[in-house]
Amino acid sequence: MSVLWFVAALFQMTLLGGWSEGERPAIYAAVYIVRSGTAVGTLSGIGLFRCFRDDSTWVNLRPNTITPGVGFYQSESKTVLYLAGGNGLHRSTDGGKSWKVLTGWQTKEVLSVAPDPVDERILYISTPFGIFKSTDRGTTWHEKMKGWTTWYVRRVIIDREDRQVLYGTGEDALYVSRDGAESWQTLSVGVPGIKWIFQHPVEGNVLLVGTEDHGVRVSFDRGATWRRASGLDTSAVYSFASTPEGAEIYACGFRTGVWRSVDNGASWTQIWNASDLDALYTICVDPYDTNHLLVGTNGYGIYASHDRGRTWRQAGLPDAHVKQIEVFPGRRRRGVRE
Amino acid sequence: MKTVLLVVAFVAGVMDVSSAQRSFEERREKILVVASSERDRGFATITAKLLTGQDLPFAFAMLDSLTYDQSIGGMFYAYTLIGCYLHGEHVLPDTLKRKMREAYRVRTMYRGDTENHWVMYYTGLYLAAQTWPNEDEARWFNGKSSEENFEEARGWLNHWFDISSTIGQGEFDSPTYITTFLTPMLVLYEFAKDPAMKTKAQLMLDLLFVDFAAEHLAGNYGGGHSRDYPEDIINPLAAPSTFWAWLYFGQPETPPWNETRYRPRHRSAWEPVFGAASSYRLPDIIYHIATNRSKPYVHTETKRVRNIIRFGKEKNPPVYKYSYVTKNYILGSLHGGILQPIQQHTWDVTYVSDKPNNTIFTLHPFSSGKELAMFFPEEQKFLSDEVDRYHNVYTNPNKWNSSSPYEQTLQHKNALIVLYDIEEGTTHSHVDGFFPKTLDERIVDASGWIFARSGNTFVGIFPLKKYEWKEEDVNWRLRSFERRNGFVVEVGSSDEDGSFENFRTTLMKRRPRARDKGKHWEVKYRTRGGHVLQLTFNGKRIIDGQQVDFKQYKFFNGPYVQSERGSGVITLTYGGKRRILDFKRGRITETP
Repeated sequence: MSVLWFVAALFQMTLLGGWSEGERPAIYAAVYIVRSGTAVGTLSGIGLFRCFRDDSTWVNLRPNTITPGVGFYQSESKTVLYLAGGNGLHRSTDGGKSWKVLTGWQTKEVLSVAPDPVDERILYISTPFGIFKSTDRGTTWHEKMKGWTTWYVRRVIIDREDRQVLYGTGEDALYVSRDGAESWQTLSVGVPGIKWIFQHPVEGNVLLVGTEDHGVRVSFDRGATWRRASGLDTSAVYSFASTPEGAEIYACGFRTGVWRSVDNGASWTQIWNASDLDALYTICVDPYDTNHLLVGTNGYGIYASHDRGRTWRQAGLPDAHVKQIEVFPGRRRRGVRE
Repeated sequence: MKTVLLVVAFVAGVMDVSSAQRSFEERREKILVVASSERDRGFATITAKLLTGQDLPFAFAMLDSLTYDQSIGGMFYAYTLIGCYLHGEHVLPDTLKRKMREAYRVRTMYRGDTENHWVMYYTGLYLAAQTWPNEDEARWFNGKSSEENFEEARGWLNHWFDISSTIGQGEFDSPTYITTFLTPMLVLYEFAKDPAMKTKAQLMLDLLFVDFAAEHLAGNYGGGHSRDYPEDIINPLAAPSTFWAWLYFGQPETPPWNETRYRPRHRSAWEPVFGAASSYRLPDIIYHIATNRSKPYVHTETKRVRNIIRFGKEKNPPVYKYSYVTKNYILGSLHGGILQPIQQHTWDVTYVSDKPNNTIFTLHPFSSGKELAMFFPEEQKFLSDEVDRYHNVYTNPNKWNSSSPYEQTLQHKNALIVLYDIEEGTTHSHVDGFFPKTLDERIVDASGWIFARSGNTFVGIFPLKKYEWKEEDVNWRLRSFERRNGFVVEVGSSDEDGSFENFRTTLMKRRPRARDKGKHWEVKYRTRGGHVLQLTFNGKRIIDGQQVDFKQYKFFNGPYVQSERGSGVITLTYGGKRRILDFKRGRITETP
């Protein structure tokens, strides 16, 4: 089936003049706010921006929407964009031309979204007031916080190898669920201020967390035990990204710069100090060109490197607070994202 | 005697029209005329033009530009646009009506992240969905159908009515943000077709107004405030609440637009136009509560902390509020700590004066990323910088609004103790006090007391530690760099003390006893009224040997307003009359 679909896609690319908009590889940037903004609710410069990889123009797909995150679902017949936003979770099935807000008044701002990679009906969102799950494409939502002692959840992700396993970052701890978010347990990372969770793209036992003041903590046994990462263990780390095979992992944070690890996160080397940019909030590796790295800054837009981090330049949205950058579709045409 | 219950479901006109209300009619006509001659681009003044028929071409042109101008948007736009539309529907050209309708399709209306944002957003959405029913999801900015939007808005509004009448508002008693609650409710009351929703809007208007009325004095909003802007804190009659007080309470007597001291500073300050345009009438009983100051009284309230998202044990811990109201002044306080980020105003004495800056207070100018992260989902390491861009003064050491974890109060009638115990390493570790230059007298006495007089109001403040003075534009700034610090405050008047000299002489003989040892920071003071107040920082509050138990605080407790916490029933009492706001049953009753 997937072979047939690949052939169809190839046919579309070669004979019909390229990808449809939702499938044409593009960089997506979630813009939370802009530096020059003066009032909430009057910011046309915020939203979900897209720039096709073969272009340099950023287009706002959802203006006036505070956007902390973005998510994707792709099957052989369907591509869905999800926007984690101030007004709730937004969904577009036409490449960002039109949107529907799926959540209601019970759900406040959505900070991250994790669509199930196989079953389109299942969605998870994290919010300042907990994790919510939908099993009917977002029509109804149910809070899933059994086992949590706090309610702020910055990010929720689905395990790459077991869709029943989820990880959620609370301010106090890292939580894991092994039953589709029905119940949660803490994983003993050993430090507070868990900001980000990352799972190795190939070696699923490798988990990394970024912390407020303790840099990176790494686990090689799926969260059972954790250790301090060498070289990057005292600063704020907000985001990770890796090459598709995970040979190189990158991290960034607040006054941290950009760091690289080539040993699954055990040790790190700084490759850019970014001293004049303060906070680097998110990082992304272009799966089509792993020399191409992108970081989202807090108020200075996107910076990009085309030489694996040796040199960097401003690459768009110069005023933006960029909370997440993703390239979609990834190289492998299956699942949420690569 | 048989009690006659008068159910005032949603027809305000059934109540007696008193002289107060008659003068209201004059004021409401006046505001419409004056606002309709303004040449700005605000929905309020445009609405006034549509209602009076004045300057219609200009109104249409401004409205047209507002339908596509993205500089005004979100929740602020959502409710004023529909309010303007519904009030002016009879004169609006069809082309303009279509553009206004279209705005709800093409403009993404941000819901916001605060209580006032949501009230504005969902009121606008409710009325828009009601106005254009049976339209599919492609016709709305959020991809939801008219029915979905209507139900969502209805659901949240009912939720807000419920929490506001049981545990209180998070953005309570705000001289600035009161507009963002009153205007949506006035528009909702006017145009909601569902009688139940209309009654809820009326209930909420009564609640908002009586909440203000019980702490109102000559146009001033007294007591502690959840949120206020510094320029309004140091000049209370400059706040938007003054305009509402003029319209509904008839105080101050001078129309706001005739007095530079409190002339509307921005477009939203003209929003009392929506009050003038509404058929809602303030119940006489609330008018009297707002204006009768023949006897001093104590009024307490319980509110709630704005939604805490992290670094807290509860999402909405209670706020305890105490006000002592006289005809000359209001001394009011919140119990202290971080109750609202950024714009909290914990205590002050605000007095009647014909001069500006009629207030005295102290504060600790605290700022921290962690405080902000309690309420906002951003990262604490850069939240302070972000908030500074919007509120300009958040990290400023000289700011006049602040919440601080290192500030606690104890008040009993006209006396108050405020203590500070500022942790070492805190960014700003000084304490400031605001003393206006408009005082008639300011005396720094050798006894340690600072005495201030304005007209018939007398204030005595005893700083517990050394301090210095700095002269500024409109005030003297008392500043102390002692991290463990505090003030004892007594307020009096010619009615209570005869003369300022008597007041001073009495206080000079009194001296607070402070105990500053190890972790213990405590002050004990016998007031000139003979009450003994004892406040231990992070410890007990004791008045006349009895420990203050905040758990016993009611939702409202005073001679005019009574309510048990969680009941949803608020009883207003004045001169033998009772008006019961029953949010649970959705009805208002008055006796007799």
